[in-house]
Amino acid sequence: MRTLRWLSAVALSAFALAANAQNTVNVYSIWPENWARPMFEEFEKATGVKVNFVRFSSGEALARVTAEKNNPRVDVLFGGPVETFAAGMSEGLFEPYKSPSFSKLPPRFRDADGQWIAIADDPLVFMTNDKFLKENNLKAPASWSDLLAAPYKNMLQMADARTSGTAVTRIFSVLEVNGRDENKAFDYMKKLRPNVQLYTKSGGGGTLPVGLGQAGGGIFFIVDALDTKAKGYDVTISFPKEGIGTAAEGIALIKGAKNPELGKKLIDWATSPAMQNHFAKYKINFVPAHPDVQLEPSLAAVLKGANIFPIDAAYAGANRKRIVDRWVAEVLNP
Amino acid sequence: MNGSAALRRDPAVAATALVLWLLLALFVVYPMAMLLARVFVDKGGVTFAGVFGVLTDRHQIRAFWNSLLLGALVGLGGTIVGFVFAFTATRARLPRGLLTAIDAAVLLPLVSPPFTTAIAMIFSFGPRGLITYELLGLKGVTVYGLASTLSSEILTYFPIAYLTLRPLLAAIDSNVEGMALSLGASRWRVFRTVTLPLCVPGIANAFLLLFAASLADFATPLILAGNQFPVLPTQAYLQITGLFDLRGGAALSLVLLVPSLAVFLLQRYWVSRRYYVTVTGKGAGQTPFDSVSPGMRAALLAFCALVAASILYFYALLLYASLVAALGANHAFTLAHYRVIFTEGLKVIRDTLIIAGLAMPLGGLYGILVGYLVTRKQFLGRRTMEIVSMVNYALPGTIVGIAYLIAFNEPPIELAGTALVIIACYVFRYGPTGIRTTVALLQQIDKSLEEASQGLGAGSGTTFRRVTLPLIMPAFFAGLGVVFIRSMTAISATIFLVSISWSLITVKILENMTELSLGPAAAYSVLVVVIVFAVIALIGRLLRAFRAPGQVQVASMLGG
Repeated sequence: MRTLRWLSAVALSAFALAANAQNTVNVYSIWPENWARPMFEEFEKATGVKVNFVRFSSGEALARVTAEKNNPRVDVLFGGPVETFAAGMSEGLFEPYKSPSFSKLPPRFRDADGQWIAIADDPLVFMTNDKFLKENNLKAPASWSDLLAAPYKNMLQMADARTSGTAVTRIFSVLEVNGRDENKAFDYMKKLRPNVQLYTKSGGGGTLPVGLGQAGGGIFFIVDALDTKAKGYDVTISFPKEGIGTAAEGIALIKGAKNPELGKKLIDWATSPAMQNHFAKYKINFVPAHPDVQLEPSLAAVLKGANIFPIDAAYAGANRKRIVDRWVAEVLNP
Repeated sequence: MNGSAALRRDPAVAATALVLWLLLALFVVYPMAMLLARVFVDKGGVTFAGVFGVLTDRHQIRAFWNSLLLGALVGLGGTIVGFVFAFTATRARLPRGLLTAIDAAVLLPLVSPPFTTAIAMIFSFGPRGLITYELLGLKGVTVYGLASTLSSEILTYFPIAYLTLRPLLAAIDSNVEGMALSLGASRWRVFRTVTLPLCVPGIANAFLLLFAASLADFATPLILAGNQFPVLPTQAYLQITGLFDLRGGAALSLVLLVPSLAVFLLQRYWVSRRYYVTVTGKGAGQTPFDSVSPGMRAALLAFCALVAASILYFYALLLYASLVAALGANHAFTLAHYRVIFTEGLKVIRDTLIIAGLAMPLGGLYGILVGYLVTRKQFLGRRTMEIVSMVNYALPGTIVGIAYLIAFNEPPIELAGTALVIIACYVFRYGPTGIRTTVALLQQIDKSLEEASQGLGAGSGTTFRRVTLPLIMPAFFAGLGVVFIRSMTAISATIFLVSISWSLITVKILENMTELSLGPAAAYSVLVVVIVFAVIALIGRLLRAFRAPGQVQVASMLGG
C-alpha cells in the first residue's frame, strides 16, 4: 500500500508539471519545428510570454481543432496555408480579431472580419535534382506540361492532399492554370499520376529524396525548397510559365480559447514586422506579409520574373473538401 | 469451491478483484464498446453503413487483402529467418562470443521504434540508394512497395520468432536426435522427421505472433509502402489524423478485428495446447554430437552473419546520420542533432520518461495481481477477467488507440490530453505479458506453500505479500520490462493519444522521418536504443538477484 501511495504522489506531481499554464499560450503550429521554435523564442524574449506548442501538418491540425471545437485545447493556430484557415472558418473554429497590422495589409492577406491574418506568403516552386536533369538531358521544368515528360516517370514526389496543405495549394494551382475547369485540371493530374513515385504525408516530405536524387523532382513550397538547397543538396528551383500558386500563411485565434489575451498578444506580434523581420536572420525563406518588411535580397533574386498568382481563399475554402475527395478517388486511387 | 462463499471469507481478494474489474471496465470494456457504438450506432438506430462502406469500397478491400498478404509474408519470412537463427544458436556449437554478438544484433530491432529500419531502407535502396546505385550501379529501382515493406518488417520482427523458437529448440533432448542419428538416419532425415515436427507448435506460434505484429504496424508502411500498396492500419491512421473521420477510421480498424482475433484465438487455444514434452527423465547425460554437417554449419553461419550484418548496417547508418550535418550532402561531423534533441526535444524526452516510468511499475503490479487472482483465487467472473484482460493485448494498436480516442475525448470520461490516458493505454495493452508470465510461474509453484501460510493464520493479504510475492518477483520484473520497452518504442496506439501537453519520442521520430528531417530522427532513435538497453540491463541484474529461472523470463519479456 505504501508503494501505491508513493506512486500516486509521483503521478500527481507529474500532472502538476503540465499545469503551470500561468503565462503560457498554447499553440498548434503548422510550421515545422525548426522555423516555429526560433519565432516563439523571439516572442518570449520580447514579451515574456511562453509558447507551448506541438507541430502538426495542416490537415492534422485542422482535424484536431475541429474535433476539439467544444473544448479547445489551444489558443492559436499558427502558420499553414490560407486554404486551411478558410476551411476552418466554414467550421466556425475561429474568433475574429483584428491586430494593429490588420489595416496595413492588402486584402488577400487578411479575412475581412479578421478571422485570420497572414504572417507570410509562400509560393510553390518546381524543384529538380541537378544530376537527374543532367543525366536525362533535361532543362529545369518551365511548364506544367514539362513534368509529363517520359524521364520523369516514377521520379516525382509531392504531398498527399489528405494531410498536407502544400498538396491542396498545388491542386488549386492546377485548377487556376486550367481556368478552374475541373475536368481539364483532373485530366492533367491523372496524366501526371504515373510520374509520381510517392505522395508524402507532409509538404516537405519529398524535398530530401529530391535532394539525394532518389526522386528527380517535385512541387514544394519555396521555403522547403530553399532550405534543401541551403543544406547543400544540388537542386534547381524553377517556375512554370503558366504560373503557379502562392498561399498566404495565416494565424488565427481559436474560438473559446482559454487564454485569449495571450493569444491576441501572439497574433499582434506575428502579424507585425516584429516577427517578420526575423525571417532573414533565421534563414526562413518565407515572403513577409507585412508591407514594411523588406524582402531578403537572395530570395528576391529567386522570385524575379516568376509568374505567381494568389490562391483565392474563398473559392479554395468553399471547395476544399469536395476537391480533395475527388483527388483521392480519381488521382490517388485510380 | 463456491464463489460467493469464498468472497465472504476473503475481503482482501474481493476488494482487489472489484478494483481490477472497475479498471478493466473503464480501460478495456468501455473503449471497445464506444468503438463499436461509433461504428454501428447512428442517430439512435443500428447501422451497418460504416462497415458496409469499407467492405464495398474496392480500394479499402484491396488494402484489407494487402494487409493480410503482408502479414502472412512477414509471418512466413520472419519465422524462417527466426528458425534459422534459433537452430544455428542451439545446434551449430558456436563459440560463446559469436553467440553473444548474434544476440546483441537480434536485440536491436526489438528495443527500437518499429520503423527505424524503414528510413535506412529508403537511403539504401532506390534510384540513388547507397546500395542499389552507389554500390551496384542499378538505375530506376523503386524503393516504395511490398518488397521493401516486407524486408523491413521481417528484419524488425523476426527476433520475436527467434526468441520463441530458441528455448524450444534448446529444450529438445539432444539424445532423441542422437539416437536417430546412430540408428543410421542421415542428418537431413533427422532434421526432417525428428527436429522439425517437434518444433511445429513453436513455428505456428511464431508465425501467428509475427502476423499479428505486422497487422498492427502502420508506421513502416506509411514510410515504405508508397501509394501502390495501401494497407489498412495506415489507411485508418490517415483517415483519422488527416480527415478526422473517426467513424471511417473506426470502421476501417474494425475490419482488422476479425483477422487479429482469429489469430489470437488460434495462438492461445490451439497452438499453446500442442506443445510436445521431450523430457525423458533426469540425469540422462546429454551426449554432444554433430547434428549439422560442417558444410551446413558454414552455410547457417553465413546466413546469420548476413542478416546480423544488415541489421548492424542499418543501425550504423542511423548512428552515422545522427552525427553528420546532412546525410548525402554534407558529411561533416556534428553533434548539432543531439544538441537539438536535448534542448528543443527535452520536453518530449521528459514526457516519455515520466510516462514510461509511471506505466512501468503500474503495469508490473497489474500483471502480477491479475495473474495471481486468476490462477489462485476463486471469485465471480474469474475466467471472464482472464479473457477481458487479454483484449487490448490481442488487438492491433491502431484499434486500441482509436477506441481510446473515441471513448476519452469527450465527457462523461474526458481524459484526452492527459498523461493518464497514455499510461492506461500502455498498462492495459502491455501489462498482459506480466499476467501470462505470472500465470506460468504460479503453475510451477505448489499451492500447498500458500495453504500452509493461511493454515497458520495469515490472511490472504499477508500470504500474498510474504509468500507468493517473493516467488513471483521474476514475473513482476518481466512485466515491468515489457511495459517499459513498449512505452519507449510503441507508436501504433498512442499516436492517437498525444496532445499539446504530453507527447512521445516515437511520435517525434515518426514526424521527423515523414518530414525527412533525418538528423534529429536518427538522434532520437539512438537515444531510445541507449535508454532501453540500459534499463534492460538493470532489470536483468535485478532478475538475477531474485535467482529467477532467468533465461526464460528475459526471452518472454521481449517476445510479447
